[in-house]
Amino acid sequence: MDQENNSRREFLLGGLLAVSLAAGCNSNKDVFEDAAGEVKPSGKKVKLLSVDGDVIEVDEAFLKPVPHMPPVSNTEARKGIPGKKFVMVIDLSRCKNLKKCQEACNHAHELNPGENWVKVDPMQEAEFTAPYWEPTICMHCDEPPCVKVCPVDATFKREDGIVAIDSDRCIGCRFCMAACPYSARVFNWSEPEISPAVAAQPYSIETSVPQKKGTVGKCDFCADMTREGMLPHCVSACPNGVFAFGDINEDSVSNGTETFRFSDLIKDKAGYRLMEDLGTKPSVYYLPPVGRNFPYESGLENDKIQNK
Amino acid sequence: MENSILTAKEKIIITLKPKKAISAGDDKIINDLLPQQFGKAGKLWVGILLAFCLVGLFGYYRQLRYGLVVTSMRDYVSWGIYISNFVFFVAISLVGSLITAVFRLAGVRWGSPLTRIAEIIAVAAIVFASLIIIVDMGSPERFYNLFTHGRIQSPIIWDVIVITTYFFISMLLLYYPLLPDIKILLRYKERSGERLHKFYSFIGSFWKGTPDQFKLSDKAINILCITIIPVAFTIHTVTSWLFATTYRPGWDSTNFGAYFIAGAFLVGAGAVVVAMFVFRKAYHLEKYITDNHFEKMGRIVVLLSLLYLYFNVNEFLTPFFKMKESEAAYLNGLFTGDFALVFWFAISSGMILPILILLFKKGRKPLPVFIVGIMVVVGAWFKRYLIVTPTLLHPFLPMHDVPASYHHYFPSWEEWAITLGSLAGCMLIITILARIFPIIPIQETLDEQHETVK
Amino acid sequence: MKLLNKIFTGTLLLTLLASAATAFSQTPEKGDLSIAINYYITNNRVPYLVVKVKTKVDGRFKNVAGIPLKLYLDKDSVGTSIAKVITNERGEASAMIPPSVRKEWNSQSKHTFLANFDGDKKYSSAKGDLTVSRAKILIVAADKKVTATVLALKDTTWIPVKGVDVILAVRRLASDLNINETPTFTTDSTGKVSGDFKRDSIPGDAKGNITLLAKIVDNDQYGNLVIEKSVPWGAKFIPVSTFNNRTLFATRDKSPIWLLVIVYSIVIGVWGILIMLVLNLLRIKKLGGSSAQ
Repeated sequence: MDQENNSRREFLLGGLLAVSLAAGCNSNKDVFEDAAGEVKPSGKKVKLLSVDGDVIEVDEAFLKPVPHMPPVSNTEARKGIPGKKFVMVIDLSRCKNLKKCQEACNHAHELNPGENWVKVDPMQEAEFTAPYWEPTICMHCDEPPCVKVCPVDATFKREDGIVAIDSDRCIGCRFCMAACPYSARVFNWSEPEISPAVAAQPYSIETSVPQKKGTVGKCDFCADMTREGMLPHCVSACPNGVFAFGDINEDSVSNGTETFRFSDLIKDKAGYRLMEDLGTKPSVYYLPPVGRNFPYESGLENDKIQNK
Repeated sequence: MENSILTAKEKIIITLKPKKAISAGDDKIINDLLPQQFGKAGKLWVGILLAFCLVGLFGYYRQLRYGLVVTSMRDYVSWGIYISNFVFFVAISLVGSLITAVFRLAGVRWGSPLTRIAEIIAVAAIVFASLIIIVDMGSPERFYNLFTHGRIQSPIIWDVIVITTYFFISMLLLYYPLLPDIKILLRYKERSGERLHKFYSFIGSFWKGTPDQFKLSDKAINILCITIIPVAFTIHTVTSWLFATTYRPGWDSTNFGAYFIAGAFLVGAGAVVVAMFVFRKAYHLEKYITDNHFEKMGRIVVLLSLLYLYFNVNEFLTPFFKMKESEAAYLNGLFTGDFALVFWFAISSGMILPILILLFKKGRKPLPVFIVGIMVVVGAWFKRYLIVTPTLLHPFLPMHDVPASYHHYFPSWEEWAITLGSLAGCMLIITILARIFPIIPIQETLDEQHETVK
Repeated sequence: MKLLNKIFTGTLLLTLLASAATAFSQTPEKGDLSIAINYYITNNRVPYLVVKVKTKVDGRFKNVAGIPLKLYLDKDSVGTSIAKVITNERGEASAMIPPSVRKEWNSQSKHTFLANFDGDKKYSSAKGDLTVSRAKILIVAADKKVTATVLALKDTTWIPVKGVDVILAVRRLASDLNINETPTFTTDSTGKVSGDFKRDSIPGDAKGNITLLAKIVDNDQYGNLVIEKSVPWGAKFIPVSTFNNRTLFATRDKSPIWLLVIVYSIVIGVWGILIMLVLNLLRIKKLGGSSAQ
C-alpha cells in the first residue's frame, strides 16, 4: 500500500516536473523557485528524499515547477518589470564579425532574410583611427526619439528600460524609423516568411513574434528571456563574449561565461555610448577597440556574403 | 468692407426687381461666367485624368495585396515619393489662404476673380494630401488607431489635427462666397440641367440675398479669412516638423518652418497662375481674367520666388560653410553627386528662371507667366523629392548588413502610378468643381461692375 | 466508353501502387540521440536531475522535445526507478529523487543515474548515465569574509574534500558576480575555501541585503552544488521609477501639461470659431426661410 502510494506520488512528481522548464545548467533557477520569487505555502505536504538520505516533508507549493510562462498580457508587457533597468555592454575589442549574434537573433525572432536587428558595421572614423567591427542593436534610449514621434503608442518605453513595439497597434507610418539616429529599426515590407503555425500565434510584445507585414521591428532585448532571468540570444550566441547584458540597478553584466561589475567595467575600460551629443541617453555601452589580438581584416571574409 | 455694405443695398434693389428687369450688361456677365459643359477637349481631359486614376488604383491594389514591398522604399529610404507628394499637396493647399484671405484682408481688389480658383485648388489638394498619407501607411486598416490611441506628443497627430481643421476652413471659405452665386445658378435652370439644379437647391436655396443674410455672410467670411492665415501657417510648419523633429542631416534645421511656408506660397501662386491661364482659355474668360491679372500675379510670383530663394540660400549655404561630418556627404550628394542633376534643375526651374523671366515686363504677359507657373510647380515637386530622399540615404551609421538594393532609391512603377494617379485625381476634383461651380465669383463680378458704373 | 473506363481504372491502380511502393520502399533512417544527465543539489535540500537530449543535425546539435525517458538509480529495475519524464521544447526534463529509492540511496555514497530511451519511429534507442558521489557544501559569511566547506559522504560520515573548485559569488540577474577578482577557489585539506568580499556597495535590496553563494559547477565526481546565504553587505537600493513622469516620450495619458494646454487651447479656439460659423450658416438658412420674397 505504502509502495503503491509512493510510486503514484513519484509518478505524479515526475509528471509534474516533466512539464516544467527545468533549470538550465547556467541559470540560477532551481526547481523550488517560483517565477516571482514569492511562494505561499499551500498546506499540502509532499515527502522527498534529502541529500542526507532522510525523508523530508516539503510543502507542495514550494515544489511547483516554473511552468513555461505564457506570454504576459498586453498591459503587463507595456509596463515591464519594475525595479530593473537593463543595460548592454558591447566590447569592441573582441568583435571579429562572426555574425553569430545576427544568426541567433534572426532565428529566435523568425526574421525575414535581409532583416537584421543586429547589424555588425565596419567602422573607421578617420584616416588614422582604428578600423573595427561595431555591432549595433536598438539602444533602448532613456529619451527615445522614436517613442516621442509615434502617433499611436505602438512603440513605448517600459519601466525596465526596454523600448518595445506592439505590432498589433503599429500603423506603419515609419516615423520612428526616420527619427532613430542609430538606424536600429527595420520594416516588414512584405508578408513575413514564417510558417503558418507561427504566423497564427497571437503577437507577443515580449517575444516580438510573429512579425507582421506593414509594421516596424527592432531589437527588444529579448524581453521574454530577461523576464525569466536568462540572457538574450545574441549574448549567449557570441563565441567571443562581445555582448554583456545585465541590470544596471544590480551593477552587474554578464556575457554568459564572465560576469563583471558594470560600473567598474565602464570606468576601467573607458566605456562610452554612441552619439552621446544627441541626448538620447542610450542603454548600450561600448568598450573601445583596444588591445585586439586579431586584425580587423579577419572579419572581412564573413562580410562578403551579405554585403557585396 | 464698407464697399460690400453699400453694394448690399444695390443687391436688394436688384433682387427685388422682377427677373426681366436685370440689365443686359449683367446678363452678359452672368452668361459668360456660368459653368459651361465640357467640349471635346474637356471630355478628353477628363478621360485622361480618369485613366491615370484607374492605373493608380490598380497600383494601390497591388500595394495592399503584397505590402509596401511593391514600392522601392526599403529600410534606409523608408520615406519616398509618397511623402514628398504629401508635402507637395499640403504646400499647394496653402494657395487658398494666400489668394483668398491675404488678398481680401489687404484689400487687393484685382485678386477677387481668382478667389474661387484658389479655394477649389486648396480643397482638392488637401483632400489628396490626406489620401496620399493613408496610401503611405504600411497598415492602413489600423488607421482608426490614430483617433482611438492618438498620442498628442507626436507631430503626426498635430498634422492630423491641423489638416482636418484646414480642410474644414477651406470648405467653409469655398461655400460661403458661393452662396450668392448659387442663387444666380438656380435662376438659370436650363443651363444647369435637372440634376445639377437639384444639387444647387439642396446646398443653397435658402440664400435669398437679403441684407441680413449678407451681413452675417460678410462677417463670417471676414472671420474665416482672419482664421485661415494662422491655420495655414500652422499646417505647413507642422508638416515641416515631421522632418525637423528628427536628427538627420538636411532635416535637423531650425529654418524648416519658414522655409516650407515660403515654398508653399510660391508653389500655390504658381498653381493659380497655371489654373488661371487654362480656365481663361477653356472658358473664354479673357474679359475677366485680364492681362493685368497676369501682370500682377507675375509680380507676386517673382516676389515669392525671391523670398524662397533667400530661404534656400540660408538652408544650404550655412551648412555648406561648416561642412559638418554628418552633413558633408549629404551636401556633396546634392551639389555635385548623385542628386546634382535634380537639385540644380529644381533650383533653376523653380526659382532662378522664374525670377529672370518675370523681372521683365514682357515676361509678365499671360503665356510666359503660364509657362513660368508650370516651371514653378514642376520645380517644386522635385524640390520636395530632394527634401525627403537624399537625407535618408545618409544615415549616421553606415548602411550595412542589408541587401544591395537598399542603398539606392528609384520609385517603382506602382509608386509612379499611385503618385501620378493622385495628381490626376487632384486635377480631376478641380475640373469637376469648376464644372459645377462658376470658376469666377459671379456676384462679386456683378458688384464690381456696378461699382465702376457708378 | 468501356475503353475509357478501363484506362481510367488502370491509371488509378497504377497511381495507388506507385504511392504504396514509395511508402514501403523508404524506411526513414532513424536519428541518434545523445542524452546527458546533470545532477544538482541546491542549498543542500533535495537533489535533482536535469536530463538534456540533443541530436546532431547538419553537424550542429539541436535540442529534441517530446522524448520519453525512464530514469533509474544504479540499476534499471522497477524498484530503483526515479521517474518517467518527457523532454520539453528545450529538450530538457527534470526529476527529483523520490523517497521510494531511499534504501538504495542510503546504501552507498556513490551512485549512478541511468536514463533510458526505448526508441520510436524517428530515433533509435539510447542510453545516458552519470556517476556522482554524494556531497554537500556549506557557507559561512562574517566580517566581509566568506568561507565555504565541501564535505563528501564516506560510508556514513561527512569528510572534507580537497582540490574541489568552488566559486564564491553574489547572485545577480542572469549570472553570479565573483566576490573578488579570483574566479575560482580550490578547497584545501580541510575542505575549505575562503575569500574576502571586495564588492563594496554593490546594490542589494531596499535593506541592503544581497545573496552570497558558493557553488561547484559540473564537477566530475560531485555534480553541481550550490548554497546561498543572505547577508546585509550590499548598498541599500530603492528603485526610483520615472515611468509615470509626464514627458514627451511617455504614453498618451502622460503627456506634458504645457503641451496639452497649448494644443487644446488652439484646437478649442479655432474649432470654436468654426462651429460658430456653422451656426451662423444655420442662422442664414433660417433667415432665408422666413424672409418674404
